[in-house]
Order: sequence, then structure tokens, then C-alpha cells
Amino acid sequence: MRILFVLLFSLLVSLSFSQIKPNNGAATSKPAYYALKNATIYISPGRIVNNATLLIKDDKIIDVGKGVKTPKDAVFIDCEGKIILPAFIELNSNIGMPELKKKAYTGRPQYESSKKGSFYWNEAIHPEVDANLIYTSDAKKNEALIKMGFGYALTRQQDGVAQGNAAFVALTDGAKSLLPNPELSSYFSFKKGNSRQSYPSSQMGSIALLRQLFYDAAWYKESAKDKNLSLESLNNQLNGSLIFSTTDKLEILRANKIAHEFDLSFNYIGSGNEYEVIDQLMDLNSTLILPINFPKPYDVENPYVSRQIPLSDLKHWEMAPMNPMLLKQRGIDICLSSMQQKTAKDFWSNLRSAILHGLSVEDALNALTVQPSIITGVSEAVGTLDAGKFASFIIYDKSPFEESAKVLESWILGEQKVYAEKVNNDIAGKYNLIIQEKKFPVEIKGNSAKYSGKLTYQYQGEESLQDSTVKMKVIANENNVTLQFNIADTSWTGSVTLQGKSNPKFGVFEGEGMLPTGEWVKWTAVKTKKGDTKKKKKSTVVKDTLNYSWFPNMAYGFDSIPQPETIVIENATLWTNEEEGIVKNATIILKNGKIDFIGTGNYRTPNGARVIDAKGKHVTSGIIDEHSHIAISKGVNESGQAISAEVRIGDVINSDDINIYRQLSGGVTASQLLHGSANPVGGQSALIKLKWGHTTEEMLIPNADNFIKFALGENVKQSNWGSANKIRFPQTRMGVEQLYLDGFTRANVYAKEMADFKKDGGSKPRIDLELEALSEILQSNRFITCHSYVQSEINMLMHVADSLGFKVNTFTHILEGYKLADKMVEHGVGGSTFSDWWAYKFEVNDAIPYNAALMSKQGVVVAINSDDAEMGRRLNQEAAKGVKYGGMSEIEAWKMVTLNPAKLLHLDDRMGSLKKGKDADVVIWSDNPLSILAKVEYTIVDGEILYSQENDLLLRKRNQAEKARIISKMLADETPKDEKRAFIKKKQGHYHCNTIGEEMSTGANHH
Amino acid sequence: MRNTLIILLIAVSGFSFGQNYENILLVNGNLHVGNGEVVQSALIGIKNGKIDLIKNSLAYTYDKEDWDTIIDLKGQQIYPGFMAPNTTLGITEIDAVRATKDFDEVGIFNPHVRTQIAFNVESKVISTVRTNGVLLAQPTPRGGIISGSSAIMKLDGWNWEDATIAASDGIHLNWPSSLSGGGWWAEPKPKTLNKDYSKQKDKIYAFFRMAKAYANTTKNDKKDARMEAMRHCFKGKKRVYIHANELQQLLDAIDFSREFDLAFPVIIGGYDSHLIAQQLIDAKIPVMLVRPHSLPENEEDDVDLPYKLPALLSAAGVKFCIQNQGDMEAMNTRNIPFLAGTAMAYGLSEEDAISAVSLWSCEITGVSESYGSIEKGKSATLFVSTGNALDMRTNKVTLGMIDGQFIDLENSQYKLYKKYEKKYAQQKKD
Repeated sequence: MRILFVLLFSLLVSLSFSQIKPNNGAATSKPAYYALKNATIYISPGRIVNNATLLIKDDKIIDVGKGVKTPKDAVFIDCEGKIILPAFIELNSNIGMPELKKKAYTGRPQYESSKKGSFYWNEAIHPEVDANLIYTSDAKKNEALIKMGFGYALTRQQDGVAQGNAAFVALTDGAKSLLPNPELSSYFSFKKGNSRQSYPSSQMGSIALLRQLFYDAAWYKESAKDKNLSLESLNNQLNGSLIFSTTDKLEILRANKIAHEFDLSFNYIGSGNEYEVIDQLMDLNSTLILPINFPKPYDVENPYVSRQIPLSDLKHWEMAPMNPMLLKQRGIDICLSSMQQKTAKDFWSNLRSAILHGLSVEDALNALTVQPSIITGVSEAVGTLDAGKFASFIIYDKSPFEESAKVLESWILGEQKVYAEKVNNDIAGKYNLIIQEKKFPVEIKGNSAKYSGKLTYQYQGEESLQDSTVKMKVIANENNVTLQFNIADTSWTGSVTLQGKSNPKFGVFEGEGMLPTGEWVKWTAVKTKKGDTKKKKKSTVVKDTLNYSWFPNMAYGFDSIPQPETIVIENATLWTNEEEGIVKNATIILKNGKIDFIGTGNYRTPNGARVIDAKGKHVTSGIIDEHSHIAISKGVNESGQAISAEVRIGDVINSDDINIYRQLSGGVTASQLLHGSANPVGGQSALIKLKWGHTTEEMLIPNADNFIKFALGENVKQSNWGSANKIRFPQTRMGVEQLYLDGFTRANVYAKEMADFKKDGGSKPRIDLELEALSEILQSNRFITCHSYVQSEINMLMHVADSLGFKVNTFTHILEGYKLADKMVEHGVGGSTFSDWWAYKFEVNDAIPYNAALMSKQGVVVAINSDDAEMGRRLNQEAAKGVKYGGMSEIEAWKMVTLNPAKLLHLDDRMGSLKKGKDADVVIWSDNPLSILAKVEYTIVDGEILYSQENDLLLRKRNQAEKARIISKMLADETPKDEKRAFIKKKQGHYHCNTIGEEMSTGANHH
Repeated sequence: MRNTLIILLIAVSGFSFGQNYENILLVNGNLHVGNGEVVQSALIGIKNGKIDLIKNSLAYTYDKEDWDTIIDLKGQQIYPGFMAPNTTLGITEIDAVRATKDFDEVGIFNPHVRTQIAFNVESKVISTVRTNGVLLAQPTPRGGIISGSSAIMKLDGWNWEDATIAASDGIHLNWPSSLSGGGWWAEPKPKTLNKDYSKQKDKIYAFFRMAKAYANTTKNDKKDARMEAMRHCFKGKKRVYIHANELQQLLDAIDFSREFDLAFPVIIGGYDSHLIAQQLIDAKIPVMLVRPHSLPENEEDDVDLPYKLPALLSAAGVKFCIQNQGDMEAMNTRNIPFLAGTAMAYGLSEEDAISAVSLWSCEITGVSESYGSIEKGKSATLFVSTGNALDMRTNKVTLGMIDGQFIDLENSQYKLYKKYEKKYAQQKKD
């Protein structure tokens, strides 16, 4: 009903304008009907009619097809040989939006919103921005889109996390361009855009901000007393169509988690690598708006250069054009967008590439017309050329789906625009030009864009007549021809100019012209030979459309998703970490992802088991890295606020980090991914297993306890951030204590309000994600891992915790822990430290490598962690330093990277030792694992062999072969050299505790 | 037995540091000479700071009267003092405190600035490095195109003068990257081929042409500090250390060395050097290899490539040693023995791994005449470990000496350890 109403409304609008607008002079009238005849019309996807007629009245299609009855007063347009496609709809556009100006960067952080008024507190949230109110038609940009085939765009200000309403516009220049929105569409993203406000500084911050926003919107609807324009707008938008703009496949899954939490439904603007997570996307029930700016081939002729191109880039180059096809094949609804394409030529050649890579023309057209019209709710009025719909279509000289075609005309809402000049007659060829009975051989070369000619005449040489060939200017326009040449023959000297008409059917020109003598003469030219029409060889391109994706789709990815195996490891030296200690000549059996048998007694080899002879080898439980920052996307720190308890590392896990595989090669099977140390209360941790080849969700350890990162000292007081950063509270250790006390006091009040509401009802308190997380700590439902260095601050936090009735779970770094190990034992807190780091900042001046041994001796549960992707691969070596510094026993030293971190992470009931029933996270070492000679031979996680020396060698060879295969494909690619990409190498940075911002650090770090 | 002090070396503090001993005999140690040889049950005689005698005790009887100090090592391992080449040790103290950084001077061509005179012998960091067996270092400037001149220093001494082995052993040339871009870490941009690469190379060529011409004159009234500092790179033994990792850089550095007929060019870094081993051999250019404890550069590189680079170069016959530039390099200098250990685990023989942090480092830096191995006539710069010094489990230094002088094995960190150990022992008593 709504759509019908809108249709009527739009009709009224279009009619009423002509009445409202005052006329300058006599009123003009338009023909009542236009009839476009003899065209090939793509009425809708899959419905192509040849020799068809399209009948239009005003801005509507009256009829279409063969045998259309045309009224007598219709204006006829002959479209013979031409192609008519319905106008496409662009869903990712900012056409007609005012240019955004970013505020000047002052260097000083901005912690509060600078936007005054009843708006949301964060400048990245501005749902109140309404594109309908700020849209102005831009003829130049319209034409650029029209040349790509588009006639409509859903445009909005592309800025911020909550971006505002979009306007559905037709690409015309007049007052009619703004169509009323049948469906209110609004856009979201994880990018804060032009906002200079410090928060959010990371993707997890953007996610937390959005979640808080949706909670606030719900609360506003029910209980708010003050007016807030942002929340009001958002609440309206939530009834409409929500489009989420992403820059990576994983962002779609992240946004979908939010949608799920708030019972919303997003459609997504994708980034082109969605094929890599196709299985997860199938459950979404969303439409994906896909870019087709497929990567250009690299210039790979130089082998020095090509060897440095990451394999993942090469693989993506190969697979990207298949993205639309693969998604469509699996039943996912797609739209195609012109995003990031500069020219119509690029857009169409990429679209044809998608078609060559398996996307049917029907599906391509559907993705550009019908599907976008459905998700914007305008399918009754636009999208096809059926009768009753808007007359918006583009006329091409050829089928652009097959070859490069020209846009001849656009009709947007019935408004005709002609682009290309009429096609000129092809006049290339050889002629005899006859003027006053003189015959001159003439040759005309070129095509309708530009011709050039040569003319030969005879002149009197010294002995005989000789030939002279001169240039001849040839200008052809429709069927008019102008020829000009200079001559010096036996009778004429000077310029000859001829004007005439061509008659291509007979290959004849005729007309009048002027001789050098000033004489006005008739002339004719008769074709003797046709021009060489360079017909491009139509190579029948058969594109390779096999899916070459790996899991993950990069070097060392698996061909298929790894599965748990039944594994018998015999004759091994087992480091059990249990009472048995080190057991020689023992067997361990892994089954269904668990340890099924362990010991020296009898056992039965299960059917189909893989048997590994571990004679001379050492077998341990997997290393657990208590402090890691690998496998995190777009920011390890949310540094925009002193307390960011609401952000969650679990929201931004990156399953494609090569460091996952590298850690496996060092025997690591599980890690705590921690927020950084940029603020006193950081974010919530993620406990993962290093399940290379699996999805982010599969990596998260199920039913793990909740953890959160706190931090103390130089980093949180921004000591090493430069002099501009002296604004945020706290700037001293004194302030840090008060910040905690204040935060926890507020959390206490919040928890009480929530409890009271649950008990007694009344008005619902506003859900506050930050206080929620803090109150979980107070209720011992979330556990603190606290970055710490010096004894004063360590002591302080234990006092704060004691005064509020909770325990600090773990001090990490804890380089002065040895000074107050007794107090730590009393409080019941563990320590996760470095083996020997120091001298990197002032607060580690008293750090000593004997720290682990001293703490351990006093009864502190001590772990050795990495905080570093490089060191994470050889934590066995770091544990061994416990033997060197302070004389720990080998068994105790080994526990510091296995059982002890498991205890600190509350996972020791299922990890950290070799015991029947525990997780099958097992490492086979070539030697005593504490020895410098120890190498990992197998790393098994949940019974899956995710690393083995043997397979690693195979993967290396396969990586090379794959690279060679794709490079030879690239070399065969016909893209001109100057359009190929120069080599691009990703310099991989790494997150450390103090890395600020979304991007990784490649510089020195101070942990 | 007159005047002879016999020490049975068991604990860390078996004898007193700082005392002068002139004739010292080490007996019963397993000697790793540093040149690949091993002498079991070795006798090492030290006179006036120099190695005077090396014998197998089974084949040689000594006269106790000849020695004022005889130390029974009881089967412990003896190593030449290890070297930390290409390091900021001694010219920085705390990475995050600018006031302690003395390695990066203003300017692009700074061959005249020298680390020797900024070297802090009393650095607390150095005290923790010595005690793991690293006894020599090459404090090295950073920044610019030519960062300055490094020096070879002993890690003990009263001042930089008496710690000096070589005052200005070489200049450090940072070869331009053949790749550019990358932005900065908050706004990274993709790296692409460096368009200015050849211009930047030209700049270096121009500077060296000038310097070479200057070196040909013997007298120059207007002394140019930069040119003077370059002089011995052409007429003398001053090294030209070229910091380069990428294939293109390495090939160009070889051309450059040939063009200027450099007598002692050295590559520092050399991540891709294993790919052009023969060319490096032909050009006689040794490599100070990238820190083995670093991550592979490229996604598809072998996950253990940095670990095995020493073995790859060794197998190919390229002269190399191990260095440690990178994150927290000053404090990490104490882990140099374990870098060699990792190289050993990944294919280098044990004795080659030792050479890679001792003799070969000294050869490449030009001080092997007196340092780098335990051979007759060389300086008595060595240490003793209860077990294999390349393995952190067994690296336990019980004796160390530089030029025959015993070093203090109780560094500041050890003192703090003992202090708090005492605290807890006291608590137990109470």
C-alpha cells in the first residue's frame, strides 16, 4: 500500500511542478508520446526483446515490446541496432553531497564533542544528517555515473559511524531529481570519519560505540526526558532499511553480530573479498553491495619485484573477479556498485570481467537494477522497463555486456539527453577523385573519430611526368565531407577545398569546391577499394573459474578446513605437568579433540588412528601465551578514553594473521589476546586457540571466563606520548588510583540501580556498557589482567581491589613483582612476566631477570608471556631462562608457559597439562623443550594437526608453485603495461601494548 | 706452592674482581678456541693480559711455580669473549628516555661523528651483558645516510680511552631502500618501488667521489672534517658498513663497492643475502646478518628463515657474523649467545655458531689480530660457563676476563636479586 501511495505521490509531484513553476515567455509543450522503435530492449533481467518498441509518456513507460500500438501523435525515434538497458541504481554514493571539510589537526586530543546542541555525545554519530535536505544536483557527476549506465543513486554523506539518512535521487539536473524515499535508508560504518574526537580510536571502539548507541536509542524511546535529535532520528531509521559499509569481509561478520544483538537487519556494502567467508555469509539473509574494482595485475616481469609480492595479494587478484559469481552461486543476493571506479571504461571492463568469470548477464543486470530497487523499496517504480514504471534507461550502440559500447542517449524520468554524435558513415577506403576530368587517386584512413587522407597528382618533372603524394585533410560529419589539399601540378598551384555529401551505399562522394584558380567546380569521388577495417580478433576467452581459495586464503593456508584426528603418539617422553612429572617411553592417545589415554600401560590403537613414533622426542601440552596481541584487526588500544571497559578484543579477531601460523610453529596453542596499555581500564580480552584455517568464532575458547585489561604507570599517564598529550586524566600515578575508585563507585551505584529495577520495576536505567563491565569485576564475574611495573602501583591496585572486595587476577609485566611477592601471595594474584626484558623505559629500571624465580619461590603463580609476535614463537626458550636466572627446576620453568598461564586464565581444568580428558592441545618436540636445540615437530590443537615440520615443507613448496602459477597467469594477462600495478609490498607491523590507533606499529615500542 | 693461589671455581664469586693477577693458569676446561677447534682438558696460560700457553693437560705437564694463580675449571666450557657488533649498547641507556640517547646526530652525511667518545663504560646495561659472555661491542651510530663512525670497545674499563680497541673502525652507510612509501604507522600506505632510488644512490656516489678525491691529497690546509673521516675508507683499514637487506640494495651495494674499489666493504642486515651468495663471495663482501630472532619479512617466507640464515650463508661459503640490531637492542645484547644458539639449532655447527659471535665478528670488524679467539699471543678476553653458553639453560658464566683482567660477575640486577632474596629469607626467620 505504501508503495502504491508513493507512486501516486510521485506522479503528482511531477505534474504539479510544471504548474507551479512560472514561465518565462510562452509556455512550452512537450510531445505527448515518444516511441523508440526497432531496439533491442532488456526489459528486465532475462527478458530481452529484439526489434521492440518502447512507448513513453512524460516520465513513465506506457508500453514495451513487440507490436506496441503507437499513438498518432507520438514522436518516433529509430533505434535500429541499438541496445536499451534499464537505468542502474547505485547504492554507495555521495553524489550531490556537500564536500566535507575536516577540522584542522591541532595535535591536541579532543575528548569531548565540539558539536553544540541536542546531539549525541560523540561526533562520529550523526544519524540526524539527512541527505534529502543537503542534496544538490551535480550535472558533471551525474553524467559520469550515467556513462556507466546508472540512472539513480542512493546518496548520503559518507562520513562517520552513524552517517544519517540517504536520499534516493534520479540523475537528472532538474527539480525532479530528488525522488521521495519509499523506504527510509540509513547508513553505518566502523569508520569515525571526519570527527576529531579521540573516541573511538579503534575498530573495537567503533563497535562498542554502536552498541551503546543502539542501547541508548531503545532507552530513549522508553524513558528519556530530554530531547535528543540524534537518537530521535536513529529510532526512525531503525524502522527502515539499514546499510552497513565495510572495508573487509570480517567487518561484515562483526556488524552482523551487532545486528543479531539488537534484532536488526543490515544490508552490507562489501569490499570484494567476501568469497573468503562465503559459508558464514550464507546465514546472513542480507544483500551484499559489491564493488567490482578488481585488482589490476601487477607488473611481474621483474623477478626481484615479483618475489616480494605477498601470495595473499596474488591469490586475491586471481579470485576477486569471481567474487560476485561465487556469492550468487551460493544463493546470496548481490548488488553491484561502481564504487572506486574512475571511468565508465573501467567500470564496464570490470563488469565484463565478472561476467567472463561466471556471473550471468541476467544476474549482473539484476544486481544493478532489480535487487537494488528491492532493498530500497522502489521496485514498483524503478528497476525494469515494464509498463507503468519510470522511463529511465540508457541507449547504447552495442551490448556493453559483450564489448566496449558507447552511451548514445540517456532517458532519466523521461528526460532525454543525447551524448555521442550521430554515428558517422565509414568512409575509409581508396577512391578516384575526379575534378574537371582530372583523376586523382585518393586514400582515406582512420575511423569516424578521425580521418586522414593522401592524394596523388602528377607534375611535370625534368624529363617526364612524375607522381607526388600529398596529405589531404578529411573532415567527416554524419554524411558531410570536407576535403582539403595543396597541389602544384601541371595546371593548378595552391589549395583545393571540396565540400560534399557521401553516399556510402554506392561508395560515392559528390559536391562542389573551389580550385586554386578561384573557380567553383563540381567533383565526385568513386570508391575503388574498401578500407582495412581492423576487426579485432574476437578471442574466445575462456576464463578459469575454479575456486582456488585456501583456508585462510594466503601463504600456509590449508586446502580444506582442518579436522580433528585420532592420533596415537608412542614411545614419547611426556612432560605431564601432573604429579607423574616427566614420564619416559609413554603413549598418549588423542581422540575427538581430547586426550583419551596417557601412560605407559597397555592400550588399544583405535581404528584409523594416525600413529606417530615419538622415540627420542618430547611431548608436552601446548604453550599458552598469557599476553599476546596477534590476530587483532584495526587497533589494539581504544585510547580515546581513560576507561574503555566497554570495548572487546573478541569483536575484532583477525583469523588471517600469518603470525597465528608462526606461533603454531613455536608450539603455541592458545593465547590471551589483550587490549593494549594506553589507558587505566582497557578492554575485554579474548581467549583463543590458534586454530589456523578456522573462523574467528571457532577460534574463541567456549565458556571461558571473562577477562579485562587494566594498565598502570607510564603508558596510562601518557608519559611518552609527547607534550600535546597532557589533557587526559590521569597524568600521574596519584590520578590513576582516584580514577579507579571513582569508576568502581559509579559501577556500584549502577549495579544497584539495575538490581533494584529487576526487583521492583520502575523506570529502566540506561544500559551503560562501560559500567556494566566494571560492575562485573566487582561481582567477580570478570577478571583483571593488569599491566604493571613498579611496586608502588602494584601495591595500590591491590589496595583498591581489597577495599572494594574483589581480587586482581593477574599482574602482567610485573617487573618489580619480586619486591612484593609476599603481598601478591597474600592478595592471591598471579604474575605473568617477561624473562629478561628491561631498560626500554624508565619504569623498568629495577627490572631483573630473577623476577620470575623470586616470585615463584614465594608462591606466586608465575607465567612467562610474549607480548610480541616474534618472541611468541620461542616461549620455550624464554621459559628456559628461568633455569638460568634464579635456578628454577626444569619442570617448574616449563610450567611457566603451560600450566601456570592456564591457571591464570582459569583454563587449567582443560589445558596446561597432559591428562586424560583434557583438550588435545599437544606439541611434539625434537628435544627437551627447554633446550636451545628444541624444534617443534607437531603442534596439535583440539586434535587437529595445525603445524607439522613435514607438512610445513610441503606448504612451502606449494606456496612457491602457487605463486609461480599465478604469476604466469598474470604475465599472460593482456592488460597494457602502463595500467598494471607497480609492485606493492605490505610492511607488516605488529601491535604492542602501546600501539595507538588502528594501524600496526613498525617502529620501536616501549611496551 | 709459594704465592700460588688455587681457586676451585664452583660459585660465581670464587675470587675477587679488580685484583691484579699476572700469571694465570686455567686448567681442566673444555676450550672452544673460536676458530672451530676444541681443546679438551685445556691448559691456558695467561701472562700480562695475553694468552701465553695453550696445551692439552694430558700431554703437557706444567710447573706450578710458574703461575701465581691456578684456576681449576673442573670441566667447564671456555669461550672467547663474544662480540656485539652493530649495537647502540653504551650509547643509550633507556630507550624511551631521550636524554639517554647518544646515537643519532643531526645531518645526512656524518662520517665525522664517532661513538667512541660517547661510550659510557659505566652503563648499567653493559654490566648485565658482560655476565652472559658478551665482552666486546661495536657501538654504532644510527640515522642519516652516513650515520657516523663506529668503534670497537671492550665492555669494561675506567673510561672510553682504555676501553677502546679500535677508535673508528668504520663508517655506517644506510643504503636507500629500493622500496618507498609505507606512510607512518598510524596511516600506512602501501610500499611501492622507490622512484627516487637512483637519485638517492647518485647522492651517495657523489659524496664518495668527492671523498675519494680528497683522500688522494695528502696535505689540505682547510681540513674538512667529513672528508678527513672518510680518508681511511680509501687509504687504510676503515670499513664501509653498508646497511642493506633487499636483493636490489645488495646487488647495488656490490656494484658500489667495486666502483670505489673499497678494501673493506661489509653488508649489515643482508636478509636476502642467501639469494646472491656467490656474488658476495666473488666480491669478498662479508655480512653481519640480521638478528636471527626476528620475524620473516614476507608472508610466504619460511617461518624459520631468520633462524637459519646463518646456516644458509655458512653452507654457501659467505663470510658472516651475527648481530642484534632491532627492538630493545641494547638490553638484548645479553642474548647474543642465544642468537648463536638458535642458529646452531637451525643448522650451524656448534663451533661455527661460536665463531659467528666471536672470531668472525672480530675479523669482519678488523680486530681479530688480538681478539675473537683464544690463541697464543692474543688478548686474554674470554669467559667460562658451567655448561653450553649458547643455551640459556646452561649459560652460567663463572669467570670472565678482558685483557686478562677479571670482570665483576655481580651486576646491579644480581645485587637486587640477592637483596630481595634476603628480604624473604628474613621474613621466614621472623
